[in-house]
Amino acid sequence: MKAFRKGVLPRLIAGTTIIAMSTATLASGGVSQAGAASKVTISVAYAANTTFDTTPLGLTWWTAVKKQYEKLYPNVTVNLIAVQGGEPDFLTKLALDYKSTSTAPTLAQFPSTEIALYQSTGYLMSLSKMLKGSSWFSQYPKVIQNEGLINGKIYAVSSGENNVGLYYDKAILTKAGIKVPWQPTNWAQIISAAEKIKAAEPKIIPLWVDAGTSAGPNGAGYGILNLLAGSSTPTIQTSSGKMVVDSPGLLQTLDFFHTMFSKGLGAPTSQLFSLNNAPNIPSADFKSGTLGIAVGANFLAGNWTKQVSFPYWPQASTAIGIAGLPKVNGGGYASTLSGWDYGISSTASAAQATAAFNFMNVAQGQKFLIEAGNWAGWVPPVQSDWNVPLYTNFAAPFNKEFGELLPSSSELPTSANYSVWVQGIETASGTLAQTPSTSGATALSQMKSYVTNQLGASQVTTLK
Amino acid sequence: MASIPLVDTVTGPSTSELWRTRRDKERYQWSSFGLLTPTFGLLILLFLVPMGFAVWLGFTNLTLVGPLAIHSSFVPWQQLTRLRTDTSFWSSLWVTGIFIAGSIVGVVIMGYTLASLLMRAVPWMRMIVGGIVVVAWMMPAVTAGITWYASTTGGGAFATLLGTPNSNFLDNDPLLVVTIASVWSMTGFAMLVMGAALRNIPSEAIEAATVENASTWQRFRMIVLPLLRPTMTAIVLLTGLLALANFSLIYIMTQGGPGNATNILPLYSYQQAFSFNNLAYGALIGNIMVVIATVFGVFYVRITARRL
Repeated sequence: MKAFRKGVLPRLIAGTTIIAMSTATLASGGVSQAGAASKVTISVAYAANTTFDTTPLGLTWWTAVKKQYEKLYPNVTVNLIAVQGGEPDFLTKLALDYKSTSTAPTLAQFPSTEIALYQSTGYLMSLSKMLKGSSWFSQYPKVIQNEGLINGKIYAVSSGENNVGLYYDKAILTKAGIKVPWQPTNWAQIISAAEKIKAAEPKIIPLWVDAGTSAGPNGAGYGILNLLAGSSTPTIQTSSGKMVVDSPGLLQTLDFFHTMFSKGLGAPTSQLFSLNNAPNIPSADFKSGTLGIAVGANFLAGNWTKQVSFPYWPQASTAIGIAGLPKVNGGGYASTLSGWDYGISSTASAAQATAAFNFMNVAQGQKFLIEAGNWAGWVPPVQSDWNVPLYTNFAAPFNKEFGELLPSSSELPTSANYSVWVQGIETASGTLAQTPSTSGATALSQMKSYVTNQLGASQVTTLK
Repeated sequence: MASIPLVDTVTGPSTSELWRTRRDKERYQWSSFGLLTPTFGLLILLFLVPMGFAVWLGFTNLTLVGPLAIHSSFVPWQQLTRLRTDTSFWSSLWVTGIFIAGSIVGVVIMGYTLASLLMRAVPWMRMIVGGIVVVAWMMPAVTAGITWYASTTGGGAFATLLGTPNSNFLDNDPLLVVTIASVWSMTGFAMLVMGAALRNIPSEAIEAATVENASTWQRFRMIVLPLLRPTMTAIVLLTGLLALANFSLIYIMTQGGPGNATNILPLYSYQQAFSFNNLAYGALIGNIMVVIATVFGVFYVRITARRL
């Protein structure tokens, strides 16, 4: 109830005010925010096949937002641009669209890791002034507000976030002699639990952590980088922009992978290197009872719902438990945080920018925001939504638990060099999975060599 | 010995007239340039201009996104130095070389074996086997890639047939598996060409050698191979070119992985241009591929011209 008073009520008032103002403006025949005197057209680009758990769910959501928006702002025409393909295809197509004023979408939704790239190219407009009166943005946790903050200005705002935790099969852990609910307090306890599972159930995959390059840069975000986030030196990019290629934290992380694979605790390479959506494989493994523990993203839980059915497994709510991913030697949880954000094109006219911001206002309304969270496998960025039944009842009890874990998460870097660095660490983790005899130090050396070769010595650094 | 004049020097045409009328000298008809202009135009528009742009692009520091996407500059030495010192490029070049060599060897051996076996096969068998091999050749690279991916990963057809469903051939020997897939997809072409060449070998030569007690190996080495050499050379060069450009098959099967195990030059070029946003460097690697393809092309043209 407290959350309702604190978060939902102001947003309901704000939403009602917007609708009332729009209706009154239209009724009086006056000029709306988008400018009723002249028709305005905006284009909204989104990834048709990657953000939402299924393509039809995405289409349903975007169409509903457009319909609602055009009802509120009849003088604005919205052209939805559904960009087809996987995430790399989407990013390439969007980058090419931005190159020309005639094709740059007025509003686009893209991964948070792209914000700095687009901003530094001059593709994005500052949203700081528009966000000053925003009721929803003020309710974002600071870590999410800062996602689009560059040089004191905000260039993009989150529409949903992914974070990571530990999923475990309660029955398998119980059989292995591990008490549930289980909450390890350091990495050694995770390895120990996996060893007990292997001893009790030799045919079961004890511990699933994404490794290798097959899932693209996101794979690391759902796997190895979460361990790095909980290491003694989690820094990926220094404040001066240099990429870290050698640090105690990187070595701890790769040593964890070495231990996991050399002891036969990790997932087989046929799953880890699968080009068929590898980060989602644990949801099928859990259902088939062949997996003990997984470091997995929040969207795995949504996979078991009827709407997503990847696979549908209603018993998951009782069969599977969630734990926070502990730091290397204890002292709390760690996870990466990455989301999808809205940005307005710098080439948009004033009327188009206003219209695009109003579109965001509609999309960020509570119902749409939570629906997007549920259907795209995101934690909604508005903290009060984490306790709203529309969110908590979907993929229960996991959605609520991932909301609670979110404040301990940290953002991934957003820079051109990150894509190279992440290729380096994914290659290193893949080497450890494929050749378990490789030591963590050797894998780190390979990563250092690869990233330094690609970026040049001036762009990398070592932390002690 | 006095030379016999071609025409009567007293009453015949003058020297200049003689040059104009001689048929054994190469002559230029300037009017032909007009007729060739459309072809030249198309060649310039569709090949030289894009190629020139790609060369220029490769020597800039243009990126897909980031500040250099707008303010790029012409930095040829910087780009060439980067290429020279890029160990990933040299590694990719090495992988490309192995992939091409493996494809060539496999295609020639498989193409010859199938062609010679089918020559001896009964007609219905020839039709069925020949048809299957040609279908494999005609199959789009995307379909071939998906088929081979599904067959060679854990739980795939090969692993199941061999009784080891957990065997993961693709991840354990990625370069070998993609090379075999490449051979499989191109064998049909080699078989057709090789079959036609085999049928053109005069049977009298083989019969004469048989009468002289030549062994099978001797007949192959001394008669068949020399007569097939021009055909084989053409197959080698064309297979090399096709393997060099075989982006789709590997992209679908491994995306260049695991790690960089199958990261051949076309994939590395793509990775640099679109995954790492280094558009210009990706173009430069593409230009290196053009140089390699040109070498293959020149050999091919010279060899085919010699045959004519």
